Amino acid sequence: MKLCALLLAALISCLGQPMPADKDKAFGNPSASRRLDVFSDFECPMCRSFHMEILPQLERDYGPGGKIYIVFHEFPLNIPAHKYNREAAYYATAAARIGRYDAVADKLFLNQAAWDGAHGNPSGKVWETVASALTPAEQKKVQALAKDPSVIAAVESDVALGNRFGINSTPTVLLTYGGRRPFALPNAMNYPLLRSLLDGIK
Amino acid sequence: MASSKLVRFTLIALRVALGAIFVYAAWVKLRDPWQLFAMSIDAYRVLPLGMVELTARVVPWLELALGLWLIAGFWLRVSGALVSLLLLTFFGLMVRAYAKGMAIDCGCFGPGEAISWKTLLRDGTLVAAALLVTTMAFLNRPKTAA
Repeated sequence: MKLCALLLAALISCLGQPMPADKDKAFGNPSASRRLDVFSDFECPMCRSFHMEILPQLERDYGPGGKIYIVFHEFPLNIPAHKYNREAAYYATAAARIGRYDAVADKLFLNQAAWDGAHGNPSGKVWETVASALTPAEQKKVQALAKDPSVIAAVESDVALGNRFGINSTPTVLLTYGGRRPFALPNAMNYPLLRSLLDGIK
Repeated sequence: MASSKLVRFTLIALRVALGAIFVYAAWVKLRDPWQLFAMSIDAYRVLPLGMVELTARVVPWLELALGLWLIAGFWLRVSGALVSLLLLTFFGLMVRAYAKGMAIDCGCFGPGEAISWKTLLRDGTLVAAALLVTTMAFLNRPKTAA
């Protein structure tokens, strides 16, 4: 499965096709002239800051009028402190399949300290955190979907895509505009600069 | 005599190469929106936002001017000293970021190049080359008549 994802990423690279987008993990207008692809890890504190501080401002300033398209990608880092990031990515991707990605991602980031491996949580209460964003009926669906091979493959495909772009830290934001190939922004955490950049490009 | 010619040729080649690298670095930054370079500078966390913006707008033009000046080869002691100073500043900031474990872009030749031992080795070599060109420019300055 991992090999398939790598081959797919290589094929996309060869053909120069647009970046793949999971519609259930995207915000805004798919035909907007500015596109941001956000690669994040649910256990990364800077990803939490991006999600809670930068993203709401982007949605507020560029959402109305469909001036931007933001696509979220899972990029669970392979570091010992991040024990539960893949599990969280599977649940979030499963939630996306029933249209609840935003709610689950919000909960995971908001309550990061309650379940992540960096705070000495012995059990990693990932599911409890995810469940708190869902109704009982949704919980059943998400629990089943999180084990679905296609959900796991979707996460691995995101990771392979990130690897193809040489991503080795999170959050990494790729910008696409004006027919240019997507490229990583040096630092997307300074909103005034990010906004100035987005306002200045066509 | 032959060895003196070789040294002279090597110094000229080094100076022109350094100048070309500066022109290339400037071109890469100037073809992109200035905010991209500003984001790279901001990631180093050493300047307030106002200074970040000013630096991002000024440095590429400075690099272009210094690169052309080095290639032209006049007033080499001044241009060499300025290039060395600029490269030492960049190198110092990169070493600081690397030592602090900051996973950030170098910002040297546009976005997408993280600081690593490779970028440090490359920029360290550039610093050494600039210092050599400058030192030789001072050592070879014309003697004034007594």
